Amino acid sequence: MLKNRLIFTLIYNNGSYMLSRNFRIQTVGDLDWLKENYNFNAIAFSIDELVVLNVERKHKNIDKFSDHLIQLSKNCFLPISAGGGIRSLEDGYKLLNSGVDKLVVNTPIIEQPELVTELARTFGNQCIIASIDCKKEQNNYSVYIQDGSKNTNLTLEEVIKKAEFLGVGEIYLTSMERDGTGQGLDMELIRKASHLTKLPIIASGGVGKYEHFVECIKDGYAVATANIYNFIVDGLIKARQFIQKQGIELATWDYHLTGLQNYFKNNNQVIKNNKTEL
Amino acid sequence: MIAIIDYKMGNIKSLENAIGFLGCKSCVTNQADIILTADKIILPGVGAFDVAMKNLKKYQIIEPLTKAVFENNIPILGICLGMQLLATLGEENGLTEGLGWINGTVRRFSFDDEKIRIPHIGFNSVDYVDKSPNLFEGLTKGADFYFVHNYRMICEDNADVSSWTYYGEKFVSGVQKGNVFGTQFHPEKSQSNGLKLLKNFISLSRDRVSC
Amino acid sequence: MKEKLKYCTKCVMPSTRPRVTFNAEGVCNACQWAEDKKTAIDWSARWKQLEEFCEKYRSQDGNFDVLLPVSGGKDSCYVSYRIKHDFGMHPLSVSIVPPFTFKIGDKNLDNFIAHGYDCIKIYPNIDISKRIARWAFIEYGQPLMSWIIAVQVAVFKTAINFKIPFIMFGEEGEMEYGGTSKLRNSPFYRREDSIRIYCSNIQATEFLKEYSKKQLYWWLYPSEEEFEKAKLAIAHWSYFESWDPYRNYLVAKEQFGLEERSRPSIGTYTNFAQTDTPIFDLHHYLMYLKFGFGRCSADASIDIRRGALNRDQAVELVRKFDNAYPEPYIDKYLDFFDMTKEEFDAVLDRHANKDLFKKVNGRWTPTFIVE
Repeated sequence: MLKNRLIFTLIYNNGSYMLSRNFRIQTVGDLDWLKENYNFNAIAFSIDELVVLNVERKHKNIDKFSDHLIQLSKNCFLPISAGGGIRSLEDGYKLLNSGVDKLVVNTPIIEQPELVTELARTFGNQCIIASIDCKKEQNNYSVYIQDGSKNTNLTLEEVIKKAEFLGVGEIYLTSMERDGTGQGLDMELIRKASHLTKLPIIASGGVGKYEHFVECIKDGYAVATANIYNFIVDGLIKARQFIQKQGIELATWDYHLTGLQNYFKNNNQVIKNNKTEL
Repeated sequence: MIAIIDYKMGNIKSLENAIGFLGCKSCVTNQADIILTADKIILPGVGAFDVAMKNLKKYQIIEPLTKAVFENNIPILGICLGMQLLATLGEENGLTEGLGWINGTVRRFSFDDEKIRIPHIGFNSVDYVDKSPNLFEGLTKGADFYFVHNYRMICEDNADVSSWTYYGEKFVSGVQKGNVFGTQFHPEKSQSNGLKLLKNFISLSRDRVSC
Repeated sequence: MKEKLKYCTKCVMPSTRPRVTFNAEGVCNACQWAEDKKTAIDWSARWKQLEEFCEKYRSQDGNFDVLLPVSGGKDSCYVSYRIKHDFGMHPLSVSIVPPFTFKIGDKNLDNFIAHGYDCIKIYPNIDISKRIARWAFIEYGQPLMSWIIAVQVAVFKTAINFKIPFIMFGEEGEMEYGGTSKLRNSPFYRREDSIRIYCSNIQATEFLKEYSKKQLYWWLYPSEEEFEKAKLAIAHWSYFESWDPYRNYLVAKEQFGLEERSRPSIGTYTNFAQTDTPIFDLHHYLMYLKFGFGRCSADASIDIRRGALNRDQAVELVRKFDNAYPEPYIDKYLDFFDMTKEEFDAVLDRHANKDLFKKVNGRWTPTFIVE
């Protein structure tokens, strides 16, 4: 049975990780901070997927971002999605060659639709995630691009259909009002989206405490949190346990890698013809 | 030394990381001499079937690969698209011949039930069949592995199937025939479950498999 | 470590907080109030009272009809916005500028004014500010007190001088954050409450030995008679509407373009509260040394009460961030208090609670763990 997904999103800005509140960003710390306050390698073993979004406001340096991703992904054995600033096929290759499995695109859906199609065709649609940022305006949701700064004046429906048409494989949907508030996800937005598309949906924006995960995951959506403070130390592990205690099925594996690291070096395994033993 | 086939289709880095983590050396290559003398071969793959086969031909990999597997008895593990390429035929973007090492066809998921979303993305249970050697040694039946795909292999002969998974239907999530192995899921993305499987693959002795 | 600190079972406030109380379930009064706010208060009746007061005080002759103490921060933005737009009042805002400020504080205040609010900025004499601040810091471990007194006094004097009896403050801190519940059912507070509660009974009359009444203008309360004569009606918005600092922040951002600091404030994970002066950071550090809870504890408790954090998430945050010596601003403090580093540290030493802390490598280190 397909399991629900608990996803952690890192908001990256020129070497540092950020906290976002309604898309206003606050610097939190760099990769060392992450390792120290999260024991990041341990955290990577308690989530189903990792998303890394480059929210650098002026110029997004893809090369620097790629280098960073290589460092970040070194001891991570889970799916990693990354994006923000993908403006060419070459950018796509750069990220995929840096330990990334899925590409996240936001602004190109509106401003470079041909690129999105090209990415989907080259790497497969299951490799492309459309990140859609929404704000509720009157009775509908309006979609914003460019790190939430530009109103496209298009509705959620128009953009989801467009993204699907261009060939993306997943939707990462964020409520700008809820982002960073800890007030819980905008379930109305999520449900509305789920009626508009058959693609898998990752819900984001507003997760503060463990209960917020549950209310969304139990309805079959993947949930992402970028609330880097609320889950420090082993908060994500605890969230995972809390969700499972509510009877929601999450994937399980051994959280401790007993004996796996350097298995072959330690066991003096010499991989040669006819000599190894199972 | 583990040869990871480089034909410009796939996230190589994660595999390198995983193999390195296990304490083994790997080499990303499409060079015949390295492929023919590797201890194990991994065929990764992300993207479209037809493009993949085109690239394998373009980089002249098929011949040395076939020789390595069937003459030099080197165990090979195809991952995701890499497993699909082991099949006889692929239906993505028209009909394309695969390597033909496992009798089967690669076809898109299609469900009447609209609630089942495609692609199949996420961790799902893998029910392995008892085989020898057992790539899943040390793992419980139904252990979770990470899937991300639209297409799956339909095997002619169930004897070739090493594991089944359920998503709208029971489909083939792993194949094994002689020293040819394949997983539809990504072991390098499946946390410790995946690492264990990779460890098992790398530990395989050539003596204990027969073609 | 002597006795274990006792903590609220809902938030992370410890028993050492002055005037905090716990009920039979171990829940502190601030958390109880947060619950009461949801169920036990007739907010529509209170809102009606506000409508009546506004009706009573609304200007008929072109004068300002309500005095708003402002800083340009999220709370004053919120209150100003509501009272002007929802009640059509004609407010005069008054800002008592802290003795030294953060640029972002200045920017937010000017931004507030630029949105069309009449405002008076008062700069109490800096020499006297410093003198009183130094004394309060040394004697009471209250580096902010000089400014707190000046805020209260200057607001009342401005109200009297401009003949605006109706004053609207933001939140009533004692109810909201765990203190005396004296003002729970009272929309207005009196001169006596201001001195005893908000100024912790610390009075600048002490300084009449050194300075004249004229010099201490901004620190000497108007007399009881003057209060009576002016018929001052000193209110808190939090009496009339359920107080929600995060809601205020969102409105302030939306309506005024409130800006935050690019990094979290010292000792916490937030960047949008009390960003007007670095003295706040020192004030919080002293609270930490005296009572064992810092800025993060306060912020995390607010977030628990508004449903954005679990208690164990809060505990992790507090363990990480509470203990924070305000290193970046030390030079500013030394200059302000006219002290050497040794004298400064000696004041900290004096006020650190030795039951809770011990000095390790020159820094006070907690001997307790937040649980």
